[in-house]
Amino acid sequence: MRRYDAIVIGLGLAGLTAALRLAEGGARVLVLAKGVGATHLSSSTIDVLGYAPAAVERPREALPGFIAEHPDHPYARVGVDAIAEAIEWFKGRVDYSGSLEANLLLATAVGALRPSAVVPRSMAHGDLRGGGKLAAVGFATLKDFYPALFADSLRRAGVEARAITLELPPERRADANALAFARALDGAAYRDRLVEALAGQLGDAERVAFPAVLGYNAAPEVLEALEARLGRPVFEVPTLPPSVPGIRLHRTLLTALRRAGAAVRLNNVVVGAEGGERVESLRVRVGLREERVAASWVVLATGGFASGGLELDSRWQARETALGLPVSGAPAPGEPRFEPDYFAHHPFNAAGIAVDGELRPLDGSGRRVYENVLVAGATLAGSEPWKEKSGDGISLATGYAAAGLVLGAPAVAEARS
Amino acid sequence: MTMRTDVLVIGGGATGVGVAWDAALRGYEVTLVERGDLAEGTSGRFHGLLHSGGRYVVKDPLAAEECVVENALLRELIPDCIEDTGGLFVATPDDDPAYGDKFLEGCQKAGLPAEEITVEEALRREPRLNPGIQRAFAVPDASIDAWKTAWSFARGAQEHGARILTRHRVVDLHVSDGAVTGARLRDEQAGTEFDIEAGFILNASGAWAAQILHMAGIEDVGVVPGKGIMIAMNHRLVDTVINRLELPGDGDILVPIRTVSVIGTTDIRSPDPDELPVTQEEVDQMLDDGERLVPGFREARALRVWAGVRPLFQDAKAGEVTDTRDVSRTHAVVDHAARDGIRGLLTMSGGKLTTLRLMAQDLVDAMVAQRGDERPCRTREVKPPGNEDGSFYAIGSRLRKREQRLLDEQLICECELIGRSTLEETMRRRHTTNLDDIRRSLRLGMGPCQGGFCMYRATGILHDVEELDGPEAAGSLVNFLEERWKGVWPILYGDQLRQARLDDWIFQGLLDVEHLPT
Repeated sequence: MRRYDAIVIGLGLAGLTAALRLAEGGARVLVLAKGVGATHLSSSTIDVLGYAPAAVERPREALPGFIAEHPDHPYARVGVDAIAEAIEWFKGRVDYSGSLEANLLLATAVGALRPSAVVPRSMAHGDLRGGGKLAAVGFATLKDFYPALFADSLRRAGVEARAITLELPPERRADANALAFARALDGAAYRDRLVEALAGQLGDAERVAFPAVLGYNAAPEVLEALEARLGRPVFEVPTLPPSVPGIRLHRTLLTALRRAGAAVRLNNVVVGAEGGERVESLRVRVGLREERVAASWVVLATGGFASGGLELDSRWQARETALGLPVSGAPAPGEPRFEPDYFAHHPFNAAGIAVDGELRPLDGSGRRVYENVLVAGATLAGSEPWKEKSGDGISLATGYAAAGLVLGAPAVAEARS
Repeated sequence: MTMRTDVLVIGGGATGVGVAWDAALRGYEVTLVERGDLAEGTSGRFHGLLHSGGRYVVKDPLAAEECVVENALLRELIPDCIEDTGGLFVATPDDDPAYGDKFLEGCQKAGLPAEEITVEEALRREPRLNPGIQRAFAVPDASIDAWKTAWSFARGAQEHGARILTRHRVVDLHVSDGAVTGARLRDEQAGTEFDIEAGFILNASGAWAAQILHMAGIEDVGVVPGKGIMIAMNHRLVDTVINRLELPGDGDILVPIRTVSVIGTTDIRSPDPDELPVTQEEVDQMLDDGERLVPGFREARALRVWAGVRPLFQDAKAGEVTDTRDVSRTHAVVDHAARDGIRGLLTMSGGKLTTLRLMAQDLVDAMVAQRGDERPCRTREVKPPGNEDGSFYAIGSRLRKREQRLLDEQLICECELIGRSTLEETMRRRHTTNLDDIRRSLRLGMGPCQGGFCMYRATGILHDVEELDGPEAAGSLVNFLEERWKGVWPILYGDQLRQARLDDWIFQGLLDVEHLPT
């Protein structure tokens, strides 16, 4: 069995971050992943803390108080400085802007204003804190963005917005998804048609909003070309999955990860671990076979209930699917899991893996389950990320911190030197 | 303002629309009022079983005989609303196979064409059935779409001049000189109230009948609401209706309907028909009952759970009812002139969706007799609209239509295969801001993702079609999400919890609908 310094399980934002930092730090890294992770479904923005529960304007100022009120939150495990450090590290590797100092307000596809800390360049001009005059462009054959609804809701929020719907099917069919538009926009010919169709329609709009389809392989070029030819700043609005900007982020980080020398295996499902206080090897299902892979360190970043990292069975027992770690915060069978009001804080929301300050998983009595396993991302207990708008921040900060803890461990540090 | 009508029908469930259709066909001027949407109460909250009668042959022979006749008639009259799945009664390892002999005898008496088939044949037809079953009988059960049925009769009534007022609640009945003369209605959407004068009132409000009668000062009518829960599973775990071969009990019916299968049900006395909480014990019981019929049931995805309330009726003189399962499933017309000294008012009590036509006929016949009119019932001969071509609904029909237009039309709901033009037409016809109305009309958002993808799209399209402003459209979306959640949270486990979490990410994380200006 080949031995790796660290095995990262999962290829979402937390896994990518942990693996990339580890590989850049000189560790021999293997990533085992069932699939590509939730970045393909995400907005691609790094929302650190949007609501607590009132809208947060300045995350760095709000975080210490938030952590004090939420002592079991993943942010309480890593601390504010690690979040800030992780963001700087991230911005060094992708074309994103923004910081912990102030949240931007980005329009969602229904025209709500969502607080977001760090955003891809293609969304930076969508910050609507100061209002603005927008033209919102949609496509009749793209069923996942409705410019009129978007503009109507924004007007209610004090933003002047006008909707423009274009025909311009990218394919010879009535139903094209975001990827079809993104691929079409990679080409100059389709961009020419788009610019032509918008001629004379933008009026006094200061900025132009598009659904997040502005280029698949050539996104920077698409943005630059449209801004130059439309004579105005342009921005993308994230909409229903598949998320083109999420896929772009995933590809950027995966490319960096491979360049840094990490091995990445997809369709590898970790189904168990062997060992005592330390995990010695992982049982990995690859198709119909089962393999063993040995590791000094394991970073578990398989995601939460949305990604299959955690499961609840029909007898109301929660389990962690890769290593069988104890799940914390899941109400016992018979106890209320959810409230009847959809937008309530449901007791089940915060269920996940509890960890100590070094991200080691804990059992019900607060003891470490394994010495050499760290947990990062949505698998962690203690947050309601879709309500707090904290999911990407948690994944980035805990993935980054997990890598730092492994790199700082004596054996790995020695091997690197 | 005051509206006038000859016959006022209260209640837009299966009974009410059947009554409106029957009375309109006989030439009466009819107005039907329903506090919510058609078939939003009991009718839309059952398992979808068009009874062969087999369930009642031993315990309730009269109900069985009625089912035999009405099942055959509805197959002729509304084939488009029915899928001819056939049914099986199977003795599970927990059942006494000797009951099968009583069952067969009862079928013969009721005129129900039942046939015993071998266990091997039953398992060949339904490979997922419990391999330990001991006996099996094939019967002409079927599944029936309650919403389609309700709209088919309602549209038929409209074509014969009836007025169908949904979202109109009766808030008072007017009684003068020992006769009802009309009602006060509240238009729930406009928030306004007005009076309607009526020559006759037919109370078809089912489990809510006592509340209506209370408005006329009639107090002691023995409506015994019986709650039953049902769970829709993600797949057609079976293609034939499966019944347990035993006296009617809990969790003993599994009905394949459209893209899902529904297991039911429980029967618990429930004083308030609007307060029907689903408990974890009931959910656990249904899942265990499902395991008994189809091993591995618990591994399938549960999509949605709901409770319906049966309009069981027992005369007050018969004393307190403890087990609502013992109340006959047949129906009875309550004549308030004879019973309470109030003329011009009849109540339909009891009954079931399968016998809706007969119930309507009996109620309208009673009115005709009281009025001394000569207007015979025509509902045995005349088909309501939408059923002209005479063929049953088939599970692949939407897919077939879809495949013909694959490149020409947007698919808005991938789970239920709903194209954009169908959605827009339905929105225009229903003229509603309530996406739940569209859900009932088209099954929009009823598939595995429970609206996770189509509801944002439907909101965008509704905003356009109904020319809503942003906050109105947002309100429609938020209302849908809140209503959906009520039927989802008690059964969230396994992959459906995973789906729900993705939907949380989409609606709360990505779209942030919680903070939309509404």
